Amino acid sequence: VTEAPEGRERIVVIDDDYAMRLSCRQILARSGFEVETFEDGTQGLVGVAALKPSLVVVDLKMPGLSGMDVVRRVRDIDPEIVLVVITGYATIGTAVEAMKSGAYDFLPKPFKPEELRLIVARGLERRHLHRKTRQLEVERELMRRRFISFMTHQLKSPLAAIHQYLDVLQRLGDSPDVAGKRAEWLERCLVRTGQLRELIDDWLLLAKSEGSTLVARRERVDLRPVLEGVVASYEGRAGGAGVSVSAELPAAEYPVLADRNCVMVLFDNLITNAIDYNRRGGQVRVSARAEPGEVVVEVADTGPGIPAEAVELLFEEFFRVPPAATPGDGVDGGNAGVGGNGGRRWRGTGLGLPICKRIVAELGGGIEVESEVGSGSTFRVHLPAYREESGSREEAETSWA
Amino acid sequence: MGVKGTVLIVDDDRDFSESLAAFLRAHGYRTLQAYDGAEGVKVARLASPDMILMDVIMEERTAGFFAVQQLRQDSQLDGVPIFVISSLYTAVPEFRIEPARGWLSHDAFFPKPVDLDELLAAMEAHLAQASYPALQTGESEP
Repeated sequence: VTEAPEGRERIVVIDDDYAMRLSCRQILARSGFEVETFEDGTQGLVGVAALKPSLVVVDLKMPGLSGMDVVRRVRDIDPEIVLVVITGYATIGTAVEAMKSGAYDFLPKPFKPEELRLIVARGLERRHLHRKTRQLEVERELMRRRFISFMTHQLKSPLAAIHQYLDVLQRLGDSPDVAGKRAEWLERCLVRTGQLRELIDDWLLLAKSEGSTLVARRERVDLRPVLEGVVASYEGRAGGAGVSVSAELPAAEYPVLADRNCVMVLFDNLITNAIDYNRRGGQVRVSARAEPGEVVVEVADTGPGIPAEAVELLFEEFFRVPPAATPGDGVDGGNAGVGGNGGRRWRGTGLGLPICKRIVAELGGGIEVESEVGSGSTFRVHLPAYREESGSREEAETSWA
Repeated sequence: MGVKGTVLIVDDDRDFSESLAAFLRAHGYRTLQAYDGAEGVKVARLASPDMILMDVIMEERTAGFFAVQQLRQDSQLDGVPIFVISSLYTAVPEFRIEPARGWLSHDAFFPKPVDLDELLAAMEAHLAQASYPALQTGESEP
């Protein structure tokens, strides 16, 4: 197949009438198309198969292979080729039949040059739209498949690790190599099971929101008790990681127009991230301030920070900031006790921040990150402030569920 | 039981690596562990193991593929069997390992979770095969 030069579109004209072939060629060539003509259906089909034109103009009434047959066979060669049939008044019925067989439109003889040009332009436009749509569909399908393959890996890896701990324990539970590790291994199985459950929960949450919404209602939510509650519930986890967590909420209740559950999920994710991606002896500071029309909440950590190139990907599904290499962390094979595995470690499901972004977007707010490698990251959330005068009305008027 | 050989396990899942290493140690192998592709290549060059078990899809995505390529190009590691282990095999159509094409040249493939009996049998078969020609050349030398 040879491409038409300079991206010009190729049109094939099949007509037994020499004068018609000549005038079609002139009209279309003047519009910048690459035109090839054939004098009967059989030759025309060979030409179509070889040239892969964008559009075919075919006379319905020809000796030999009929225009109808040509229409059907061109559809078989490539259903994306646009077919325009030329017909005498006597054969309008056949023209309609041709359109039922897949022709795009018909042109009754005699026709003016503009009529041919117009019908060709419209036919090609439709072809482009159709192709573009299909391309988008293909891309979406590829993304979906990549997502599924990655999700499969994320689910199968922990399962394989758990399976193998249990398999080896069952086979060698009494051997000296393994007996001493029993408690540690079982604990690891529980940790990995828990992570697997978290991943599935996060995934389900995101999947549910696809095509619908995570936010079920809009109501007055006071951020102070929400933030203090989340902070309090993670004091244990923070203490275990050697991180101190504090909430600085000096002014008020910080009422926002939001969904309570969503806001809890949002700050739960941000605060656990700040604890997990931190250093021993580090801090997590949660602060809030009222700004015109909105409440701004900041969750700041003293972790390793996020490299600039990673910031852009931070809210992508399954993206996780690579753990920083720590000096001396090498091929030691040592486990630093139950729960922590020593050395570098990937944390989280990779879905937490995408969920946060979705929630904030649905609430009409915003989320941004400021980060400096080596000193920490600050996540800043903007949520619409709840206003007394409009709040009740808005609540009554809208049914968001 | 005498030491059957040294096996390098390259896998970023420390839990998986931990239980596999303990299992192999209990069956008479010495084990080394590396947790990413680059580390794996480094340790292989330093320690010259008798066999390498390599996960090809790690957190750094395809790190294992490149590690296998690098190991295959290293003349010092000529003839060291490489077993590829992955949890992504049957599930994903685009992920097909084709040793004939040479881009991921490996001696055996095992899906995760690994069938430990099959793994042991394959390891013994490959180690026997690997040591046989070496013995022969040794004997035929004048």
